[in-house]
Amino acid sequence: MTNTIYDITHESDAIMLVGSNPEHAHPVIGMQVRQAVARGAKLIVVDPRDIDLAKQADVHLKLKPGTNVAFANGMMHIFIEEGLINQQFIEERTENFEAMKEMVKDYTPEKVAEICGIDADKLREAARIYATADKAPIMYCLGVTEHHTGTEGVMSMSNMAMMVGKLGRPGCGVNPIRGQNNVQGACDMGAAPNQFPGYQNLDKPGVMEKFEQAWGTKLNHQIGTKATDCFPKMISGEVKGLLIFGEDPVRTDPNTQHVIKALKSLDFFVADELFMTETAKLADVILPGRSYAEKEGTFSNTERRVQRVRKAVEIEGETRPDTWIFTEIMNRMGYPQPHLTPAEIMDEIASVTPSFGGISHERLDSEEVGGRGLQWPCPSKEHPGTPIMHAGKFARGLGYFRPAAYTPSMELPDEEYPLILMTGRILYHYNACAMTDKTEGINEIAGGSFIELNTQDAQKLGICNGDTVTVASRRGKITSEARVSEKTNPGQCWMPFHYIEGGANWLTNDALDSISSTPEYKVCAVKVTV
Amino acid sequence: MSKIYLAGRSSDTKIGKLLKKFSGKVNVYPPGTCPLTVQLSLLQASKNQTCGKCVPCRDGLPQLEQLLSSILNGSATMETLDEMKNLAIMIRDTADCAIGYQTAIELLEGLETFHIEYVSHIQKHTCPENIGQKIPCVTLCPAHVDIPGYIAHVNNGDYADAINLIRRDNPLPTACAMICEHPCEERCRRNLIDSSLNIRGIKKYAVDQIAADKVAVPRANVSTGKKIAVIGGGPSGMTAAYFLSLMGHKVTVYEAKERLGGMLMYGIPNYRFPKDRLDEDMRAILSTGNIEVKYNVNVGVDISVEEVYHSYDAMYVAIGAQVGKKLRLEGVDAKNVFSAVEVLDQIGHGNRPDYTGKVVSVIGGGNVAMDAARSALRCGAAEVRIVYRRRQEDMTALDTEIESAVMEGIELMLLQAPKSIESDEEGKCTALWVQPQMIGPYDRAGRPAPMDAVSKAPERIPCDVVLIAVGQDIVSAPFEEFGMPAERKVFQAGLDTAVENMPGVFVGGDCATGPSTAIRAIAAGKVAAHNIDEYLGYHHTLDCGVTAPEAKPNNRVPTGRVNIGERPAYIRKHDFEHVECPMSHEEMLQEAGRCLRCDVYGCGKLEGAVEK
Amino acid sequence: MRLTIDGRNVEAAEGMSILAAARTAGIKIPTLCYLEGVSDIGSCRLCVVEVEGMAQLVPACNTKIREDMVVQTRSERVVEARRTVLRLLLSNHRVDCFSCEKSGDCQLQQYCMEYEIEMTPYIGSRKEIEPAKKDAHPFLSYDPSKCIRCHRCVETCAHVTGRKAIHLGKTGMFTVIDAPFGEDWKNTLCESCGNCAQACPTGALTEKRRKNYRSWEVKRVRTTCPHCATGCQMDLIVKDNHIVDVEGADGPSNHGLLCVKGRSASFDFVDSAERIRHPLIKNQETGEFEQATWEEALDLVASRFTEIKNTYGGEALAGFACSRSTNEDVYMLQKMVRTAFNSNNTDNCARV
Repeated sequence: MTNTIYDITHESDAIMLVGSNPEHAHPVIGMQVRQAVARGAKLIVVDPRDIDLAKQADVHLKLKPGTNVAFANGMMHIFIEEGLINQQFIEERTENFEAMKEMVKDYTPEKVAEICGIDADKLREAARIYATADKAPIMYCLGVTEHHTGTEGVMSMSNMAMMVGKLGRPGCGVNPIRGQNNVQGACDMGAAPNQFPGYQNLDKPGVMEKFEQAWGTKLNHQIGTKATDCFPKMISGEVKGLLIFGEDPVRTDPNTQHVIKALKSLDFFVADELFMTETAKLADVILPGRSYAEKEGTFSNTERRVQRVRKAVEIEGETRPDTWIFTEIMNRMGYPQPHLTPAEIMDEIASVTPSFGGISHERLDSEEVGGRGLQWPCPSKEHPGTPIMHAGKFARGLGYFRPAAYTPSMELPDEEYPLILMTGRILYHYNACAMTDKTEGINEIAGGSFIELNTQDAQKLGICNGDTVTVASRRGKITSEARVSEKTNPGQCWMPFHYIEGGANWLTNDALDSISSTPEYKVCAVKVTV
Repeated sequence: MSKIYLAGRSSDTKIGKLLKKFSGKVNVYPPGTCPLTVQLSLLQASKNQTCGKCVPCRDGLPQLEQLLSSILNGSATMETLDEMKNLAIMIRDTADCAIGYQTAIELLEGLETFHIEYVSHIQKHTCPENIGQKIPCVTLCPAHVDIPGYIAHVNNGDYADAINLIRRDNPLPTACAMICEHPCEERCRRNLIDSSLNIRGIKKYAVDQIAADKVAVPRANVSTGKKIAVIGGGPSGMTAAYFLSLMGHKVTVYEAKERLGGMLMYGIPNYRFPKDRLDEDMRAILSTGNIEVKYNVNVGVDISVEEVYHSYDAMYVAIGAQVGKKLRLEGVDAKNVFSAVEVLDQIGHGNRPDYTGKVVSVIGGGNVAMDAARSALRCGAAEVRIVYRRRQEDMTALDTEIESAVMEGIELMLLQAPKSIESDEEGKCTALWVQPQMIGPYDRAGRPAPMDAVSKAPERIPCDVVLIAVGQDIVSAPFEEFGMPAERKVFQAGLDTAVENMPGVFVGGDCATGPSTAIRAIAAGKVAAHNIDEYLGYHHTLDCGVTAPEAKPNNRVPTGRVNIGERPAYIRKHDFEHVECPMSHEEMLQEAGRCLRCDVYGCGKLEGAVEK
Repeated sequence: MRLTIDGRNVEAAEGMSILAAARTAGIKIPTLCYLEGVSDIGSCRLCVVEVEGMAQLVPACNTKIREDMVVQTRSERVVEARRTVLRLLLSNHRVDCFSCEKSGDCQLQQYCMEYEIEMTPYIGSRKEIEPAKKDAHPFLSYDPSKCIRCHRCVETCAHVTGRKAIHLGKTGMFTVIDAPFGEDWKNTLCESCGNCAQACPTGALTEKRRKNYRSWEVKRVRTTCPHCATGCQMDLIVKDNHIVDVEGADGPSNHGLLCVKGRSASFDFVDSAERIRHPLIKNQETGEFEQATWEEALDLVASRFTEIKNTYGGEALAGFACSRSTNEDVYMLQKMVRTAFNSNNTDNCARV
């Protein structure tokens, strides 16, 4: 996020929510969006479903899934057409506007309405509300990213914000609401094939040398393979050994059958896990690590805020801190790594990561920080952290408009698989349920898989609310419970992906975004039968 | 946004009718009710009004109710009073809204006002004496006329019996038929079903069918030989004279003017009460036989009070309040500025002023102001305005009088305090200057007091005549010199009308109360007559020869109240003829048929239900 | 603005309540229904104070300060009013402090002690009409007999969570909180977040697991919620080395709020019977996992990975980090992949 949760929900005049259902996926943010609406902020919901917040929205654009780029281009077309752009901001702070203008020229409201399946007047109103509000953030989530054009979708969000000058100020910004508790931190910490901690590119001059020096060893200079690209390489034999730390790709990655096949192809597979997950079952060795409540450390939330995690209990058995496990493996594989406490590890992180330069456990625990964490970039011990990014100047200097053309989703409905399936989260579970399904009450509230079907579709298929149905795609087949309503448009259906029984990812498409390799979880074609 | 809806038939709209019934019920709380039970009802109503938010109100009021209930059921001690008081103070001090604090204030006031009743309940587990439900109309009529009885007679067509039954307690049935303010109607139980009976209207129907002087009065007692002086031939004096005469005493009435009736004769204009109808009552009273009237004798001027006192065995002073109060106003001495009472008196004497084409301002808000204004109109005035320093709802005049005045085209200029009177070089009044007012907090008497609206400049009301109707005074000086105690000219006497330390001197009516209603004056006359009889050593009981007829079953069908009609304003405002129209026979039958006969049903049969 | 509170000169900002001004001066005024920034409906009247020139006592929570105001927070009149408030509340409060889960953490109990109220002279007006407990919900329960009708739960649900799932039931002296925990709980708007329970000052609206501990038996550990990326701050409530509950803490992104997962699904798994507690090595013949020592497991891992590295090069090895673990864990994992595996095939589950 460029901004903080507090300022975008408490200081904004209008909020544009794109492909984000915070009431379910980020409930405490959802509560604060409700507060914002109650206080009088206008709300634009861009979502293919009637999420609860849509009922409170001034405008709900019920887009056809996978048409975000067209929507954004349409918005920008209207900004330009109706003179709603911020000329001064564009001139002083951005570049490549002319190319952008050229790109969106053809995206007339009528054309975009056609692509997105919405009303052109409503699109105009949304554009006017967002552009004319003094302060308005864009909040988006996986509804934007989980497409094969996810990266273009993200850029489109920035393009919109730049065009109307809604960046670098409180109550504005482009704000991806990140999914998992430390997904921000995992990216920040360099668990990426092309970047060291703090987004330091492997191929940037001096970076490799710096880390070789810091870690005192020769490193592999070749950029690695993204996780999602690794699976095909496992099948082809290029990747033979794998250690998975706490992930459950069998359940969370698209095209489950393909994932299982890939993991089974490995020569040696190690899982560092808390539970016997579907993925762990395929491992050769399972190393019992520890949960967040059994160790010291930090998480970075979606606001780039580094906050402390503290040890509360020790459980019986032979579990070990995960950093101990990694240190042991390093030593046994010949890299001399001394055992460090989490605080010492953070000090090392700070020493090699400029944006974390001022962050330490000591400081996070200090009175100065007062339990409010530190938001990176925080380059020095004196730096207070950075609540709002791009204030006055973009990180790269000038904000760059990246024009993107709309392209349809990879797998579109056809005669055999006539429905578009979208996937998502529900309030009561988290991802693969490894943590949440250990609480009995949660299972009582939300125990099983379901599929939301449109009333018209259900009628045609002879399906009633509560029926058990079979859902099939080109990749798999599951059973689920039908929930019939107007929540989705005709021709579209929606499922949560949490469950292994009736899990949506048996069906989803592993088509990847060309840049980020994010799978197109949000759109695949299915058929539903009784 | 989601859809919103009109209120429709929500309980808030439906409840209106129920609340009206409820307020009706409160309005007809029967006389004689134990005040503690009323206080309990009030607490229960308040408790049920609480929204449930705040502790003092939500949880405190039920506790007050429990404490009060314990007093009523006899399980309380004197400490309970302190507990109630302390809790009520806490609620008064801490409650958030009026539902809480006002209830506490009312309870605290009640604890003081009804201290005797509270103590009686705690110590004797009962109400003090005199508490017990009574018939509403009879009790609230100051003269305690047997109203259900005479209504039943009227309903049966026995008009003479009705008049006789009225005269058992009130010898001026015609006067009361015309101008009584009918407090009897206030808590009529019929309000529980529809609305109170038009009691005055039914009585008027009776006297319209047979004149009072055509109904023989009861035969008077044999002569007692006692002589009694009645000073003042108004309603109070003539009532006393009537009963004393029937008891066999010899009565001499001293009347300062040439005709009997007092303010009924000289204060109330003919269009409200035709003088020939007043004479019917007077002739009936005089027909009792033992009354001599000395006309044109002004006691204190033509004959000393002392002399009168010494010439009789007892004396009843009922001289009324007949002199218009003066207003201290700059320019008040201008020509064409008059006391309204004096002008009405002149008109009563047949001397009608000619206001043709003139603009008249009347200062005041009482019935006299209305009478003066409407009379001025009938004397040809082009425009008449009533200037009053408070609001319309603060006027002491009857609502019906105000309404009639307005219908006749009289303008009410409200919240205007007279400041000065402007006059021309001949000294003739040309305008009334007023200072606009705003209404403010309540005064000690419990009425909202006006105060100068400081941001508004004085205004000029052009006019040719100003009539001042700001109250009446009593000519008390000669009687005060004689030794009768008075406070601000109002004579002081006990509730038995006897003057303390002056044996044989009784006083009543307006001169003992300040300007008030005819029926209160009549009641005083009745009380005085009985107590003079007692004073003289007698216990005469009077038999009117009539009792209430048998009751029919209650008519429970909600039915509208029949009101008395008036002649059209555009016609009546040009003459002094009676403005009211007679009730039709069918109207009378329907109206009298609504009477619930509370003298028979409910508490009516109980000992003590009838106020004597 | 300058004012005088209990004889002390206090300076406070315009627009502040008497309560806030007193707090800045370190003067404590008791409150029950007040919730900072959420509710100052002033229903309990416990915070009443005396203000010179005003006939009635005023609630400190919602009365704004004025220049030169003179306030008494502990005068005899004030204390007596507060004692009566407590007595009235107590008359309708089922006193079962011995078995009540909130004993020791109940504000009514605390203030009764402070104001020396041992019993109430009043017979509760609701004793006979109190509706039954609602506790069909898996996590939450509402017991009207302990409810003081302060509305903190209603205000919290309406204005903080914005869900409006808790309403007022009947009105007036019958007022009850229509808590969505009855038999039909599944058909209510309730999101089970439990912020209402956290707001309840007594033992009326509680998380059911609250009965498993007393406030003096536990320690609190401030941490960050392990579910989504909002980063809510929370306290793990630990009794005898077990996490028994969670409470929302005032973090910059959550301001004391939690969702159902954070409050109710973030600790049962920690010491779950399903946890893997020993290293496991799969028997290649049977396909079954067998318990191993750390030495065996780590040696096997290191030797096999080294073998692959030596045979096929670092590119044949990969290590994926977990987006749910700590920064320190992830850092060490990627460091392991880069140094020991000699590979850049490291990634995290950011995309899934």
